[in-house]
Amino acid sequence: MSESTLFGLAFILFCLAALVYLAFQFSKKSSLANVGFWIAAAGLTSHTAALIFRTISSGHAPFTNMFESMSFLAWAILLAFLIIDRKYKIPRIGAYILLIVIGIVALASTPLMPKEATPLVPALQSYWLWLHVSVTMLGEAFFAVAFIASIMYLTAKEPEKKDKMDSVGYRCVAVGFPLFTLGGLIFGMVWAYKAWGTYWSWDPKEVWSLITWIVFALYLHTRIVMGWKGKRSAIIALIGFLAALFTYFGVNYLLAGLHSYA
Amino acid sequence: MKRIFKFLSSIKLAIILLIILAAASILGTLIPQGRSLEEYTARYGMLSGALIKLQLTTLYHSVWYLALLFFFALNIIVCTLTRLSAKLNRASRPKVESEAKALQALKNKDRIKRNAPLQAAQAETVARLKASRYKIRTSAAGNRVSLLARKRIAGIFGSDVVHVGLLVILSGGVISGLTSVRQNLEMREGQVVSIPATDFSLRLDKFTTLYYPDGSVKTWISDLTVLEGDRTVLTRKVEVNRPLNYKGFNFYQTSYGYNWDSPAVEIGAKKKSDPAYAKKVKVKVGERALLDDKDQLTVSVVRFLPDFVLGEGNQPETRSLQPNNPAALVEGFRGGEKIITGWVFANYPDWDQMHSANAKDKAAPTDLVFQLKSFEAGQFSVLEAAKDPGVPLIWIGCVLVMAGFGLAFYWPTWEIKAVFEETQGKTDIVLGGLAAKSRESFAVEFEAVAADLRRSK
Repeated sequence: MSESTLFGLAFILFCLAALVYLAFQFSKKSSLANVGFWIAAAGLTSHTAALIFRTISSGHAPFTNMFESMSFLAWAILLAFLIIDRKYKIPRIGAYILLIVIGIVALASTPLMPKEATPLVPALQSYWLWLHVSVTMLGEAFFAVAFIASIMYLTAKEPEKKDKMDSVGYRCVAVGFPLFTLGGLIFGMVWAYKAWGTYWSWDPKEVWSLITWIVFALYLHTRIVMGWKGKRSAIIALIGFLAALFTYFGVNYLLAGLHSYA
Repeated sequence: MKRIFKFLSSIKLAIILLIILAAASILGTLIPQGRSLEEYTARYGMLSGALIKLQLTTLYHSVWYLALLFFFALNIIVCTLTRLSAKLNRASRPKVESEAKALQALKNKDRIKRNAPLQAAQAETVARLKASRYKIRTSAAGNRVSLLARKRIAGIFGSDVVHVGLLVILSGGVISGLTSVRQNLEMREGQVVSIPATDFSLRLDKFTTLYYPDGSVKTWISDLTVLEGDRTVLTRKVEVNRPLNYKGFNFYQTSYGYNWDSPAVEIGAKKKSDPAYAKKVKVKVGERALLDDKDQLTVSVVRFLPDFVLGEGNQPETRSLQPNNPAALVEGFRGGEKIITGWVFANYPDWDQMHSANAKDKAAPTDLVFQLKSFEAGQFSVLEAAKDPGVPLIWIGCVLVMAGFGLAFYWPTWEIKAVFEETQGKTDIVLGGLAAKSRESFAVEFEAVAADLRRSK
């Protein structure tokens, strides 16, 4: 099987899983949630294989252009959801997560995105590419799950459901924040120091990671020290994910800087 | 004084500072930083003066941004210190005595009646809690015994470790800002550069650029030798992502450049009337070389442009310093007389722009055709020498921050308190549990402990 076959298969499985999760949404049959989980997991496996194939054929990490990095982001979001779902049982947000994953994969597959694996510019030839990007994206993936949980919190009516989403949101931040700090900021600083000789140069991407970090620091301080919960917490988590999204996309297209290649 | 201290230690100040820091940082990404005055004038017109005065164009190094960071650090220090003494007390001298009533008010609570004397019930409880790795303290008062069981007490210091880590990073940043040295080195092969304020110098032995098949740069390799006086200390290959470290200095490969001062150009000559005619000669820009002895033909290269483009007023100029469209302005002479002049292009060998040097003969095309066969320009390596004494603190701070996260999020401190009271050979156990983090898992453990105590005989 080729990379594109596996990628296509993953896409079909994601769509199928989304449908099953949607059916669960309406019927509330827990068996459907289980089926949705395993179809999504099969899709993730296929996607993983596609990423491995791509890594082998290109000889470098599968996130060096926009197509690759979006494909990897979709992979990370689904992985984060499946982990959180195993632990805290949140099939209710499955449909939304899969819709986002499908959206990202579809966007990545548009002809506008260059898909060919191009040779790496000198600055990217480092194992820090693996560490920096994969850990950062995994952190952002947990922020994405927190984002969905926050939206669910804000739109839900039953107090029991609201409580669950509030606590899931916090759990995701508790995983995503350390990952984002480690991958985005710390590994980024180490790599910058190795490649450019300076660990921090106030490049727009660096500054926006810092802003994202500050928003989630606010989330934790207002929640743990000031006891904010529920609505206000959810709104901060929303803003935090949007900041992460801007760090990822917006900076590339709207602001110029050192990170011009990714 | 007390009020100032209270203000500095407040969480509200921390929140406000974080919000202002975020907002200021956003502003700095919207206004391009550190550009020239002309660029700001073109972009912002009248406003540019105000922007520069408010240091918005060097925002992250501005007095007010640094002041924000200073207050942020101060806030962290005061917050951490005020909370730390209470936490240290809690860790080392905890209050063991509890009231049964107080325990009943906790989130996790239970009440167990044991058909056993107090000592036996207490021993069972202690054994059960020890099995779950709790550390236990007891205190007795009359017919009542209070018990405090805790595990992972270090978890309460997680946030403090993060905060100390942040302070270490900030101080590393201050040291970097005050003491770091950076210097750009443009080195040609064979060139020796002495590094200022040190006793060593650096020699570039060889500079190599490797390309991918599609022509893009794969890597630059600088073979560097460190010299102390005349002594060779070490030789290393430096590439992007593989700097050379020597005596606190790091040498980074950052870029490369072509030395277009005096490239050597190879000019070929053909005759339209004679397909067999082919001559070539190497000539330096600005010099003249003999092309054909018999014909008394000489050629000189007046100008060389690596990336030819017709600029303003149709004047030839170079678009970049990369050899994207190399072109040479060539003059041909027969004897002492200039007979031909024109631009020749390496990428377009058949482009016939040649015309007679004599304006009157412009209509009459010459028989001679020149070609730009090849060119050689030295490449120089662009390296950066940097010394940054703040860096070790940055890494120490990063390790502390991550260790603190580990403690804060994944080393939850759990407490189980118990009060035993004996009446007529029977013991009443009141249990209460407290967990600031991982409450769900704690509830499971708490219930398991209570269930086991209830079952035991």
